Amino acid sequence: MQTGQKIQIRERVVDTIRAFFKKRGFREVFTPILVPVPSAEPNLEVFQTQLQTASGKKRQGYLILSPEYSIKKLLAAGIGNCFEITKCFRNEEEVSRLHNPEFTMLEWYRVGADYTDIMKDFEELFLKIIGKEKFTHQKKTYDLSRPWPRVSVAGAFKKYAGKDVLKVAEADFYQIFFNKIEPAFAKSGKPFFLYDYPISQAALARPKKANPRFAERFEVFVAGIELGNCFSELTDSVEQEKRLHHDLTVRKAQGKTRYGIDRDFIKVLKVGLPASAGIAVGVDRLIILAADVPSISDIILFPGNELFDL
Amino acid sequence: MSNVNAGNITKGNYIIFKGAPVQVNKTEFMSPGKGSPVMRIKFKNIQTGSAGEYTYKTSEQVEIAEVSKKEMQYLYRDGNELVFMDPKSYDQASVPVALVEKLGYLIPNLKCWVVWYKEKAIGVVLPSHVTMKVIESPNEVAGNRINAPKKTVKLETGVEAQVPLFIKVGESITLDTETDAYLSRVQ
Repeated sequence: MQTGQKIQIRERVVDTIRAFFKKRGFREVFTPILVPVPSAEPNLEVFQTQLQTASGKKRQGYLILSPEYSIKKLLAAGIGNCFEITKCFRNEEEVSRLHNPEFTMLEWYRVGADYTDIMKDFEELFLKIIGKEKFTHQKKTYDLSRPWPRVSVAGAFKKYAGKDVLKVAEADFYQIFFNKIEPAFAKSGKPFFLYDYPISQAALARPKKANPRFAERFEVFVAGIELGNCFSELTDSVEQEKRLHHDLTVRKAQGKTRYGIDRDFIKVLKVGLPASAGIAVGVDRLIILAADVPSISDIILFPGNELFDL
Repeated sequence: MSNVNAGNITKGNYIIFKGAPVQVNKTEFMSPGKGSPVMRIKFKNIQTGSAGEYTYKTSEQVEIAEVSKKEMQYLYRDGNELVFMDPKSYDQASVPVALVEKLGYLIPNLKCWVVWYKEKAIGVVLPSHVTMKVIESPNEVAGNRINAPKKTVKLETGVEAQVPLFIKVGESITLDTETDAYLSRVQ
């Protein structure tokens, strides 16, 4: 793909996203990329740096894994429905077809809503970006007509892997998913939402009322690519603090960079995060699909592997 | 018997999958944001030629198939077999066509690495560059003006290649066997 085309398609996708949310009354927000405490993600590694003032004050700084904590602080302050398009960073990952150390993330949050509302947003937004219901990616045709199939994690594990997902170790979850479940859906030619994850895999999601062993979380897959991860947000500060501690313990056990808990985040939960749902979507992956190219390096102007000679 | 971390498997590796030796032809690293990273590989069984795919956790240990390589010359194709010869001992070996990709680079006398597993020839590693003669070329081409102008020509083995406009029939060109890219004209 030519440089001019790369610029154009990115511009078009980002413009479409902005117009989509502004038309629906969402506020666009801009939150920090350099923060004192990043998200307590058990499986992701951060870029670490040091901030130093002219007078010699030194602070540890990190590039964000996601803008979620900052946006939730804004939600607690009463901003209402909002979205952000920002750069996020992940260290110690292979640069691959779907991964670049620096990438563009879209997050949006709906107040007074749950994850099923975000599913509908996602379907509509994706159709706007692609512009038609029959869509081809890398010679395979997909049917985007709504509604897209919604499949519970427990149901999918039972049906395609013959397993009770509550008995599946966290570390084996995605291996089983990619070996048994995702291929079964790839054949259907439809995008799909996989929803209701075991509570152990839903750090920031609220438990389901009917069955608290599961949490209101979904991931959405199009053309075999995971495009987004959504939670009905957990608003219970005590439970949230407990889970953050758990995640930081897992980080430590995995030998990842150690940092503390974002106390301000816990504080705003105590003050009150409104009932809301939010999603994080990889914008570069949306562009891969819109541009019908196989790899993220085809649509990033300065791919990490070229910049850093990886 | 030695192992490799699944996260370090690369294209071209030979590993044991469910007891059978396979060659890896594609790897894909995936890191679900909320879970452990996995490595999806596509492979070909080097005894049967059948293809498959599997996803490993990157931390998993995978057994390496102990293969050896020997430099041999390509002679000719005999039905579904490719015949190679050891230039020193004149020993011959046959490799099933189904186990070889990019047959279009196999010109007679080409020196390749024949891959052996348990005393059977099961694959071929091409040299990084191969020089071949152009046998057909369009006379006039408008060319792609945004890129460096290229045209499609046919080579002695029947395969096609993208080359600069100045290349003529009868000339020899060198291609990169990994990327299929044109490298140079041979004077």
